[in-house]
Amino acid sequence: MSETDPKTPPKKKRKPKKPKVPRQPMPEQDATRRARNFQEVPYGYPPETAIIEAARCLQCKKPLCVQGCPVNIDIPAFIKLIEESNFEGAAIKLLEQTALPAVCGRVCPQETQCEEKCVLGKKFEPVAIGRLERFAADYVREHGDELEAQIDPPTGKRVAVIGAGPAGITVAGDLARLGHKVVMFEALHLTGGVLMYGIPEFRLPKDIVQFEVNNLKKLGVEIHTDYVIGKAETVDQLLNEEGYDAVFIGSGAGLPMFMNVPGENAIGVYSANEFLTRINLMKAYDFPNYATSPIRAKHIITVGGGNVAMDSARCALRIGSKSTVVYRRAREQMPARDEEIHHAEEEGVEFNLLTNPVRILTDDDNKMVGMEVIKMELGEPDDSGRRSPVPVPGSEYIIEADCCVVSIGNKPNPLIPQTSPDLSITRWGTIEADEGTMQTSKPGVFAGGDVVSGAATVISAMGQAKIAAHNIHLYLTGGEPDTSEEETQTEEKEQPVTSE
Amino acid sequence: MNSFSESTMDTISLTIDNQQITTEPGRTVLQAAEEAGISIPTICAHEDLPSYGACRMCVVEIEGMRGYPTSCTTPVSEGMVVQTDTTELRKLRNQVMEFILSGHPDSCLVCDHREDCEKYRPNVTKAGRSTRCGFCSNRDVCMVRNYAITCYERHLNLPTLYCHYNLERDDPFMERDLNLCILCGLCWRICEKIHGSPAISINNRGRWAKVGTAFNSSYVDSGCTFCGACIDICPTGTLTDRYARWYGKGNFGWETVCTLCPEGCKIKSTLSDNKVVSTEMISFDRESRICALGRFAYAQLMNAPKRLKRPYIRDNDELTPVSWPDAIDFVAKKLAEYEPGQCATIVDSANIRENLHLYRRFTEEAMQGRFASVPAGDGFDDIDDESLKADLQAGKIKAVVLGGDYLDPELLEGLDCLIVLDYLPSAATKRADAVLPVAILAELTGTFRDDAGEIKPLKRAVDAAGEARPEWMILRDLAGALNRNGWPYDDINGVTEDITNDPAPQPWPGSPRDSLKDLPPRFRGAYLADTVPALKDVGLPSHPTPIHPRPTTGFKILKHEEVVPNFFLITIEAPKIAQYARPGQFVILMVDETSERVPFTLADWDAEAGTITLIIEEVGRSSGELVFLSEGDFIAHVTGPLGVELPVPEGDTIALGGGCYGIGAIYPIARELKQLGKKVITVLEACSSYTLYMESQFREVSDEVIIMTKDGGKGMKGGVQEAFTHLVDRGTKVDQFVAVGCTFMMRMVTETTRNFGIPLQVALNPIMVDGTGMCGACRITIGDETKFACIDGPFFDGHQVDWDELGSRRGAYAAEEIEAIPQDTHHHEKLVPITTSGGCALDD
Repeated sequence: MSETDPKTPPKKKRKPKKPKVPRQPMPEQDATRRARNFQEVPYGYPPETAIIEAARCLQCKKPLCVQGCPVNIDIPAFIKLIEESNFEGAAIKLLEQTALPAVCGRVCPQETQCEEKCVLGKKFEPVAIGRLERFAADYVREHGDELEAQIDPPTGKRVAVIGAGPAGITVAGDLARLGHKVVMFEALHLTGGVLMYGIPEFRLPKDIVQFEVNNLKKLGVEIHTDYVIGKAETVDQLLNEEGYDAVFIGSGAGLPMFMNVPGENAIGVYSANEFLTRINLMKAYDFPNYATSPIRAKHIITVGGGNVAMDSARCALRIGSKSTVVYRRAREQMPARDEEIHHAEEEGVEFNLLTNPVRILTDDDNKMVGMEVIKMELGEPDDSGRRSPVPVPGSEYIIEADCCVVSIGNKPNPLIPQTSPDLSITRWGTIEADEGTMQTSKPGVFAGGDVVSGAATVISAMGQAKIAAHNIHLYLTGGEPDTSEEETQTEEKEQPVTSE
Repeated sequence: MNSFSESTMDTISLTIDNQQITTEPGRTVLQAAEEAGISIPTICAHEDLPSYGACRMCVVEIEGMRGYPTSCTTPVSEGMVVQTDTTELRKLRNQVMEFILSGHPDSCLVCDHREDCEKYRPNVTKAGRSTRCGFCSNRDVCMVRNYAITCYERHLNLPTLYCHYNLERDDPFMERDLNLCILCGLCWRICEKIHGSPAISINNRGRWAKVGTAFNSSYVDSGCTFCGACIDICPTGTLTDRYARWYGKGNFGWETVCTLCPEGCKIKSTLSDNKVVSTEMISFDRESRICALGRFAYAQLMNAPKRLKRPYIRDNDELTPVSWPDAIDFVAKKLAEYEPGQCATIVDSANIRENLHLYRRFTEEAMQGRFASVPAGDGFDDIDDESLKADLQAGKIKAVVLGGDYLDPELLEGLDCLIVLDYLPSAATKRADAVLPVAILAELTGTFRDDAGEIKPLKRAVDAAGEARPEWMILRDLAGALNRNGWPYDDINGVTEDITNDPAPQPWPGSPRDSLKDLPPRFRGAYLADTVPALKDVGLPSHPTPIHPRPTTGFKILKHEEVVPNFFLITIEAPKIAQYARPGQFVILMVDETSERVPFTLADWDAEAGTITLIIEEVGRSSGELVFLSEGDFIAHVTGPLGVELPVPEGDTIALGGGCYGIGAIYPIARELKQLGKKVITVLEACSSYTLYMESQFREVSDEVIIMTKDGGKGMKGGVQEAFTHLVDRGTKVDQFVAVGCTFMMRMVTETTRNFGIPLQVALNPIMVDGTGMCGACRITIGDETKFACIDGPFFDGHQVDWDELGSRRGAYAAEEIEAIPQDTHHHEKLVPITTSGGCALDD
């Protein structure tokens, strides 16, 4: 059916004028139904729709969208290939710049990146770049087309990649294609990092993640799970004793922050990481087939306003609980993607905005029975320019709930920094790395992703990883560091919110 | 109570404890005393059994009689003067108790910390093998323990002779730990009473006397019908119900009728936490006996994890959960599309009359269709309505209301409309246009007509699962939605009154209560063994279940042995971990891809050989998975080493205390400190001599080894805290205490040493998930700070630990941990070596 050529609008002389067709909507599961299952929410474009949407692209000479992309995908080129029904070609074009097109097509905040820059978007709606990226990647995966990866001749150089999350996968893919021997170390029992334990199935199916990781194996990347660098070998030992020529640290921001309110260690209070890990990685929803204890709560309060908070609040619905979000600022200030907030609202998550937790109430067995919260109002702008929330005296009230998911961000995991004495660390615990090269203070050691930026998005981690890979390659082949790719697109946020 | 007969000649008067008592001739002194409200301790006597005189607890003094006769075997006689509670009798009973307890693990009973332990550990530890009361599923209802606590002295003179019998788990439904047996004989006596020729009796003599089947055949082969009477009468934790055992003391005696087959036996259920956890016969007599389904399957069917809990309708080709009103509305509209004669209803006849009545009325009046009830225990092929079957096959029937899983795939596919009322997902629910979840068994009130025609009342014991509802209610509402007037049933009584002339169900061919071969294989058309896995082992058919292949790669087990009861030493090939391991660190294991991630402390490692060694105590599902592996098997995932090693203590003399798994955990610490030139005093705490391990290894790496047992059977009586106190009292200058073991022990050590002015390090063991700092499950309060045990610990200053918080967080999933225990029969029980000491170790 890929050969069928539907009514393609005329597209000879493209000028920024009103497109003949509107931005194509993506069909998705009905909200009331999906709130009870873990199946993916949007179904994806069928080929006909993808071709129609692709034809909306103006094919700008100086494409601004590419500037908006942290990994500089040649967006007009892959869209053109879709329009020409060359879906495989489109996928290959994507793979030139991203190791994870099916993932990025789903979880990137395109509305603040490529699509925000789209010329069409200035007057009309931008081209649905993310949906097209997802389409090309899915089409090739589902149709079993083996893409021939271009691998350069072996260089004889060995690179250790610490952490098999989005940053590590990107670095590994890029360096393997350049002919380096890449060995990846992952502390958990499965690869994928936050893509596996954090982002829920309904937003990113886990078999897609494993498919993309398998592609790395085809490139010759060696993967060790259950392997904790810093507890087994240190970074120094990898370089000095194990014969690695370079090391990339992409260990993520896996150290959850808590609220520091009384009662926070009650039974029923979880970090978003634990809550999501039990559900996504350990599949506790399939208890007792899977042995990890499930969370059985009647009312789950998620504290926070980022994407992780939305993921948690939506998972809460899916495990059969009432779900409420408590966030201290207003909706406009929520760091989560609009689409995610919208999805959560549609599915029935309740929002208590301008509200902040004061303490967790417990019973005699230390089980959570409620949360005391206080109303907030927006005061003077703070350092980030946003108006900071101020408590309204006397406005405390109690929400009855037996579970709370704390989703106010993560700090970098300390295992690597603690065991690498000459690695410079910022006061936030992140690894210091040059923005232009992702080189750390230690020669041969590069870092990227949340362990450098605090806690950001999947795509910004991948963006840093691409820069790191490029510079590791230069480092290994004796080239000068290249700082030209200064676009890192890490947005400053009020508080770190775990990637996606 | 006996009633007075007309002739007073038929009564006997006697004096018990200075109280004038009149009773019937033929009664025993024990019975007469009980009638008068005087309680005489006894273990082997039972109201439903003849006197036996095995335990000798019920001894009394009777004027004019020599010695101390057992009241259970002495008949009353006119003018008898009996004393039941004298100093001499108490002394005697204490001795009897000592003899009983010498053959029964008793360390918790004699432990000086019993009260604190029960306060801080209200729940029994779910051990594979009970080595003491705190690890025994019968603790809360144990008769031996009850007497030992209420009547007898804490100090005993006889050591425990632990028999080292294998744990018997290779039969369905039941687990037997004959190390706990006190040979009271109740089990085989009740078996004989109910079944005539008992399946079990006492084999061997003397110390090796043991209850079992003839020739030690499996219970399935022995003729046992799995009525459960032996389990229900056992006064100790020897015989237990694998499913119900960890639910503790429930609320007994809720009577209802089993509706799994047309016999309609009376049963009584035990409830725990609004859940029926077991069912048993209403009294111990032959007439009341029940079958394996009624005794063991009933509760598991009700609590099946896959129970349908909400209504679903098909929308866009997918089953979607909806509210009840939407579901009723949808089904009514759907059924209204069909002509009379195009509809049929097929239901299981093993159901309450009210449900069957409304199925019939609904079919005939609301749908004008055909009604068929399938004989209980049968499948679709057994419907004796050939024309209905033919019409279904010919496609003449377009819409079917199905009260179970009956039709084969082709028939299901051929239907235009399928409405399923059931309690579990099935092939039928998969194809259904609507799935309506129903209440079953003890969730129902109503009446049941048995195959003899008798009408028996059912009494609801618990709420229906989730949003499930009784079928009569669903059908009433459906009829209402189809605009049928005249069904004004406000409650079930209205339906009951409406029933006239309902037929008695066809008898089930065979006698399930007398033979396992006669058990009905199905309930509501579906194989029972698909939901209750152990039924496969009594020969019931089931659909093949996907078998989790054991991992063939990963971390190989090189050595696997039960070193002492319930403790397993496992050596695993893990070169990287062995290379980097440090004292006090731990690993996280996943036996296979569906396992939990569980931390275990390293007990040893060999960097050259590339191996690590763990001491695993079987206390639930995850450790159970490990225990059932063998040498040569693979563990899917082993991550480590994790945690921070014990900081090298300041000062010269270090006292290390280890209990339970902690004995293994302190071994590498002792070895390391010894190598660093410290003076190492090791305290090994075990409940009894037979759970003490690694003693000789410790002697090699310690300057002094102090053995502590809770029953005093070896070393000193007490635990680590007594040993540490002893060290201070005798003037040994200790610079640092370290304690590793159960939370209770570490807490006790903390409290004991608080004013000693000596620092204490403890290794905390909260629940973990990733073990690398990522999830925060293991957070604990140390002083004013929250710490993560996985990356900040496991060692902390014991005097700063919030023990209440740690204790509560460790128990956060108590209910789930019980549910997680698999109910399959274990076919590969390991053998425990019978140690030569036999536990009777008085050598030092």
